[in-house]
Parts: sequence; structure tokens; C-alpha cells
Amino acid sequence: MRKEPFMGIINRAIRNISRRKIRALLVIIALGFSMAILVSIPAGVLANQQTASTAATNLSNIITQTSAAINQTSTQIDCNLAPSFSGFGFSGFGANSGGSGSGSGFPPSGSGGRPGGGGFTPGQFGGGTVGGQFGGSAFSGGQSNPMNESLYTDINGTISGIGTVEPILQASEGQNVTRDLSFNGYSRTITTLEVEYTIEGIPLTSDLVNNYPVLPTNITEGSNLQAGASGEVLLSENNSAYFNAGVGDTITVLNQPFTVVGIYSPASVSQTQTLYMNLSDAQTITNNTGYITSFKVFATSSETVTQVASAISTLHPELTVTTDQTRLNQLQNLQTTYNSELATAQASNSQTYSTAVEEIAIVVVATSLIVLFVMLYTVKERTKEIGTLKAIGFSNSVVMSQFMLEGILLSIIAGIVGIAIGSIAAPTISSLLLPSVGLGGGAGAGVAVVSGTSRIGGLSIATLNPELILILFGASVLLGALGSLYPAWRAAKIRPAEAMKYE
Amino acid sequence: MSKPVLQISNLNKTYMLGKRPVQALTNLNLQVNQGEFIAIMGPSGSGKTTLLNVIGCIDKATNGQVLLDGIDVSKMPENQLYKIRRDKMGFVFQTFNLLPYLNARENVELPMEGKIKSKDERKKRASELLAMVGLSGRENHRPQRLSAGEQQRVAIARALANNPAFILADEPTGNLDSQNKQEIIKLLANLNLTHGTTIIMVTHDTQAANHTERMLLLKDGKIIKEKEGLHLAKKNNKCPNCGADIKLSDNVCPICQKSLTITDEPFSS
Repeated sequence: MRKEPFMGIINRAIRNISRRKIRALLVIIALGFSMAILVSIPAGVLANQQTASTAATNLSNIITQTSAAINQTSTQIDCNLAPSFSGFGFSGFGANSGGSGSGSGFPPSGSGGRPGGGGFTPGQFGGGTVGGQFGGSAFSGGQSNPMNESLYTDINGTISGIGTVEPILQASEGQNVTRDLSFNGYSRTITTLEVEYTIEGIPLTSDLVNNYPVLPTNITEGSNLQAGASGEVLLSENNSAYFNAGVGDTITVLNQPFTVVGIYSPASVSQTQTLYMNLSDAQTITNNTGYITSFKVFATSSETVTQVASAISTLHPELTVTTDQTRLNQLQNLQTTYNSELATAQASNSQTYSTAVEEIAIVVVATSLIVLFVMLYTVKERTKEIGTLKAIGFSNSVVMSQFMLEGILLSIIAGIVGIAIGSIAAPTISSLLLPSVGLGGGAGAGVAVVSGTSRIGGLSIATLNPELILILFGASVLLGALGSLYPAWRAAKIRPAEAMKYE
Repeated sequence: MSKPVLQISNLNKTYMLGKRPVQALTNLNLQVNQGEFIAIMGPSGSGKTTLLNVIGCIDKATNGQVLLDGIDVSKMPENQLYKIRRDKMGFVFQTFNLLPYLNARENVELPMEGKIKSKDERKKRASELLAMVGLSGRENHRPQRLSAGEQQRVAIARALANNPAFILADEPTGNLDSQNKQEIIKLLANLNLTHGTTIIMVTHDTQAANHTERMLLLKDGKIIKEKEGLHLAKKNNKCPNCGADIKLSDNVCPICQKSLTITDEPFSS
């Protein structure tokens, strides 16, 4: 087709559409809504897929982390003094350590023995209440009572199935803060330790450092503590800020200089204020030589953990012995939940997809039918005009192009309207037409659980991206052409003699 | 005598009215010479419009031969016929058939679209044609803002767009008042004289028919009578009564004073 007739065709198509304004408006609105649905459904599906894939990624991350945690700690047994033995306040210490029972806090250091800090005060406010401050491992329950290291050297020798024993000394340093509390008419003054940092001393033997998860793993700066290191510390990011020190700097911990070898990113909340050093260094600077606050026993395999734990309990009934068995079970349950969650999400996704395909098919058919009937009506209405055009020398192909173009033009305008509607109403439309955008139904409860962990991303919202807009534009051209093909063909078949009819 | 531009021999046309076949034209023969101004008359259903349609290549003969400039168009396929309509024919309809959403000039430009590439050229020619039919300054008016007579003038201008060999007019004065009727007939007669365009006009209007040079009476699909019209006399510049010299503009013969505007029924016998 030459350019000139084509311009004429476009010109006439535009004039014809604008000639019947109300009709054009109604048709465009109807088509526009179809187009909006047409573009909103894929947007919804995309949003669904994104939501599901975010959820899947998050879930699988959780599963990975969980498995790692399970594997890492499956052989671990935490041992410390049972609350019943430590009793309340300071008595527990005396009973177990055999040291002098008087004075506050930890006997070797004496109460308030160190300026500016609470010293080593495990029993300061009862074993239970401030236990958390003393940290312990993330899952240990947080009770730390001082123990004489030598009392427990028998464990490794007498019980079989033990890989190694890791004695730990934890000491929190900070300010004593006194507060007046009133509760139901009772009023009392409580002094608590506001922890500024927690020292964790562990034996830096090559066996422990190289084979067991005793040190933080995610070092962000510098390097980890090496076996046999002394006078060196590994700081948490929090510590680094508190001491205002970086890798290579020297900090003073309880009047003793230490070189910072590395900084790590804490894996759990309880670790945020913990700095790591050699056990002997920790014992020295806290004046606790020969004492520890807890120890971990690593069984040779996860199968023998329970057996080893009960053997330890038998040997030292005063100890609280915790294995990760319970947590293991919990984590395994969680993993099962996550897996079924993923399956549900995928199922919901594929259901959404098939619904979307059906609906798109319906809308495509409906849109073409609208164009078809409108154009058929137009052709019928303009029979005489078409006859005239042919009588004065228009070819069939030009007449056909004329009506095809009119249909396509209508459809394109409707497409633009549809994009406008869709860009506002896509979330609403897609949520009305698709089985719950995101993870709906049975998946919901599971997602709520996962959401509780704050790891799942928000539900993705159906939005029109440029690709979708481009596709819809193409679709509107195509549907316009499809719908007006038959009417245009009918127009081309109109006999020129129709121009002569005068009713 | 001029050369024949249209030769119709043994033309038959049957069409179906529902299930009933209707013989519209029967063994019709006709020869039209270049520059003739012909009126086809006849009662309703006599086949006038069918004949015009066949001549204008907008309808096909059932059988028979239609030679336009020696070319047989009766067997021509549509993808060639439209070019004949566009290049050789100019249609003038009873109901004007202007496109209501185009202005006068754009309507006149329509047939040129496939022929003249330059839009400016089309515009210029359309304006010239409109000026020729007396519609200067009304180029931008849409049909609904023009009177019936003006609309028919636009239609005539449109018919002339591609400088056709034929103007085929179907009851061109059928929807006009007497004033406009005369003017349109005068316009067609002038075109015939000045451009030499062959005009074939279907009409019921005796006055209009009388202004042509040859009148054909059709009945039951056959030409049953032929008669000379006034136009021939004027074309020859001779009074048909006394043979005196006359001018085209004369209404009465300057010598014998006989009216040169015939108002009586030409086929009244």
C-alpha cells in the first residue's frame, strides 16, 4: 500500500470514530475494561510468582540455616550448674565451688573489686534473672554459675563417645544501675548490671579451633583467633564500636592490653556483645584462674549425644545437661512445615496460573467479539458509503484496510484506557479474578508462621511493568485486527451498486 | 461522427430477487459515441439503473459484451474493474452520496487518492473543480452545511476528479427543487460541451431529458425508442424548427421565436 492512500485511510478512520462520540466512548470503555483485565491478570500472576518465589527463597534459606544449625550443634552438649544447685543469690556458688562463701559475686575477685565495673558477678541478681546477660551459648538457657574447672576433668576420661570438652568462662562487664521498682504497692531498689561487653574465654587449642564450632564464623574484618593465640581478642561489631577499635588496634580489657585480630558479625542476639579470647587470658584478667562458668561437651556423633549426656548427668548430678535433641526435633518439625509450605505455595501458584490462562482466553475472546460486533454494525450502517467508495474507484484492499484500521484504532485507544485503568486497579482486578494473590488459603497460616520470623518478604503487589504495557499494546493491535478482520472482509465484499440504493 | 466509446451487444442481466429470477436487461444493444449526452428514461423496473450499473462497471452482465474504448469489461475481475471506475467513470448519485465526515474538498479528493500522489496537487485540483461547479469558498464545508443543489455540485466535482471519459448520473435531479434541477442540468450540459465528457444520465425528469442530445426509452430491459433532444440542436447551433443559427444560451429561437426549452413529454405518444 502506498503512503498517500494510507494517510487518507487513517484520517478517515479517526474521523469516523470521532463522528459517533457516545458510541465510541461506550465501546472504548467496554474494551478498555477488557484490556485492563487482560493486563491485570498477568500482572497478578507475576506478583503471585514473585511472592511465591520470595517465600520459597526465604523458606529455603531458613531451611538451609536451620539444617546448618542442626548439623553444627547436633553433637553439642551444654553443661552448667543446675539452678537447683545454684539456688538463689550467692549461695549456689559457695555450695559448688567450695570457695569462700562470703562476699558478693564471684569469690576470687570479691565484690566490686574492680573499679568502674561489676566485676565478675554471675550471682549478682540470682541465677535466673540476669542469666541472659551472662549469655552462654545461644540456646543454653543462659544460666552461668562459676565452676571449678578441675572438678570436671574426669568427664573426658571416664565417659566414652566424647570428642572433646570445651571449658568456657564468660564474664560480663558493665555498669551497675540501681533502679526503684514499685509493683503492687511493694517498692524495692534493684541493682542490675547494664552489660557493656561480655568476655568469653575458650581454650584456643588447635583441636577445638579447627574441629569444633567454638568461634564465630562470619569474620567481617581481619582474621579469626588462631590456635594458641594469647593477648588477642576477636570483637563483635558492637564491641568494635564500644571500644572504638579496629583490626590491629590495642584495647584495654580489665586493665590488660589486647590486640584486636578481627571483627565478626554476630549470628545471634546473645552474641552481639561478646568478645572472644583465650580462656587463660580470660581467667587471668578476671582473677578467675581455675574457674569456668560452663563447658560444652562434643559427642563423637549425633547418635551418641543422648547417651553421653545421660552419662554426664550420672557422673555429675549437680550439672544441668542440655543437648540439642529437643531443639533438633523442633527444627525438624519446622523444616517439615516449611517444606509443605513450599509445596502449597507451588500448588497455589500453578492453580493461579491455570485460572489466569482461562480468564485471559475468555477476555481475549470477549474483546475480539466486542470489536467484531461493533465493526459489523459499523459496516452495516455504512453499506451505502462503502458502495460509494467502491463506485468511485476504491479497491477492495483499501476498503478492507479502512475498516481493519478503524477496529485496530478503537482497540489501541481502548488499550491505552486499559493501561490507565490497569495501572490504578491492577491489584484490585487481579485479586478479584485470581485465587488470592500471594499465598492464600491453607498457605496463609504457614506464611504467618514464617512471617513471624520476619524473614519472609512482603506480598508482591500486581503492578504493570513496561514489558506488560508493551505486550498489551501489541495485544490491542492484534485483537483489533482479529475482531475487525471479518467485518472488514464483509465491507470489501459489499457491491458498489449498493451506492445506488435509495431507501 | 465521433468514434464509439461504448458498445453494448446482446446484453442480458438476470438477478435474483429472493428466489425469483428477474430479467432486468434483455438482449440490449447500444452504441454511444464520444462526447454524447444521453438520457435513459423509462418506467420503474425497466432496467435503467441496471444498465447504468453495467456501463459503470459496478455490476456485471449475465452475458453479452460491454466494450469500453474497445476493451471488454464484462469479464473483467474486480481487481481491475475498480481501476476502470476510478479512471474512466464519474458517478453522480440521486442522493449525492457524499461522505458526511469529510468536507467538500476532501470529498472531491477521494477518487484521486489512488491516482495522484501529492496531497497538495489533490487539494489544488479539488479546489479548481469546486470552483468550476461554482462552489469557490465552500471547500471546507461539510455536506450537512450545504444545500441539496450544492451537495450535488460537490458530487459532480467529485465525479470529475480523475477527468473521466464518462459521467454516469443516476437521477441526478431526483432530489432537487426545480431551480436546482435546471442548474445541475445546465452544469452537466456545459461539462459535456466544454470538456467533451460523455454523459449518460438516468432520469424520470422529462425536462432534464430534453436537454440531452439523445433520449432512450427503456421498457422491460429493452430500448424501445430513441429521440433527439434539444442539446443536439444547441450543440449544432441550429434551431431544430427553422434551422436558424442559435446560441447555447438562447431560450427561444431568435428567428422563429419557437421555445428552445422543451417542456412536453418526449415519449408521450
